Amino acid sequence: MSIREITVAELEGSKIGAEAAEQAFHMDEQTFRVFYEDTARPLWSYLCRILGSATLADDLVQESYYRFLRADLKSDDATYQKAYLFRIGTNLARDHWRRLPRREQGEAANPEQVPADDRTAERLQQQSDLGRALERLKPQERQLLWLAYAEGASHKEIAEVVGLRAGSVRLLLFRARQKMLKLLRRPGLALKTQGDTSHRS
Amino acid sequence: MKLPHCEREQEVVDSLRSGRWASAWGEEIRQHAAACAVCAEVAFVAQEFQVEDELARAELQQPGAGLPSAGLVWWKAQLQARRAAEQRAAAPIVLVERAAYALGVLAVPGLGVWQWPRIAGWLQRVASLAPIPRFAAMPEYSSSGGWLHQLAQAGTGQTPSFLLAASAAAFLTVMVFAAYVVWRED
Repeated sequence: MSIREITVAELEGSKIGAEAAEQAFHMDEQTFRVFYEDTARPLWSYLCRILGSATLADDLVQESYYRFLRADLKSDDATYQKAYLFRIGTNLARDHWRRLPRREQGEAANPEQVPADDRTAERLQQQSDLGRALERLKPQERQLLWLAYAEGASHKEIAEVVGLRAGSVRLLLFRARQKMLKLLRRPGLALKTQGDTSHRS
Repeated sequence: MKLPHCEREQEVVDSLRSGRWASAWGEEIRQHAAACAVCAEVAFVAQEFQVEDELARAELQQPGAGLPSAGLVWWKAQLQARRAAEQRAAAPIVLVERAAYALGVLAVPGLGVWQWPRIAGWLQRVASLAPIPRFAAMPEYSSSGGWLHQLAQAGTGQTPSFLLAASAAAFLTVMVFAAYVVWRED
């Protein structure tokens, strides 16, 4: 059962001892609240953009936090914990792609053909140039670009999240960036000159 | 392959994310990016991603969207942890149950093979018995004429071995159905 399937009624009816639950987790509730407020939105944005589905991102965010709470972390460092959380989210996204039939895996690389839920359909209509270009890239390229330029992660941090060597990240990121630049300069996608923010919404 | 690289790529991204890029303090890094092809590319792409990140943030503010509260996620995680613990605790019981079912199923043919000489002799004795007389010939059934009479008629004239085989087939059918029900519950 996914964590999202647990209903509020069940929560109200449950008589879990807080101590017993906290024994199973590596952080207390107060620390978790602070960590969640810092990381939930960036994690959701990352998963939403690499998966192309807001609803799926909702599910995976909750599952990521559950797995994170149960994980045996080696450090209390906030940067390490955030990277660990993003790594869990990345692995869940990969599991999702693996479960797709081969034909749909091909479509996932070109989400223009993927049937979308209401929220995703609305998002696709309001998409920016980069949003459209991003969805023409491979999942790994989306991950690398988002982590590097939206999250501002270093090559070493990206390597920890996606499970590659820092040297490989540098090469793959360079290629992904070149591909993104080509896509942004394609006809139909507005090319923004540096410093120009006029087309931004 | 030698990749075009600049030591200040990360600084460009950091300055864009922090807002320093657009401020007076960002003058120096902007000038560098204007002169460096790699940093110009990085700045261009990073600016696009910053916009996309803002769009994603705005999506979460829309009605019907939004992340659950930290408290709700915490409680759900607690409940799921409890369920996982219960499943772990019940795992040996489920294993023993399955082993018992499997042993039960294996015991029937095993017993049949082990005791086959005795069963075969018994079947031969049963087969040598005379057919059951027709109920119709019995005075108490001959004139009843109802559904019981007809049912009795259908079952008459058969040897006991046929009835035994029919019973065994019915038993096996019930066993297969029971096994299916157990499998579905699992």
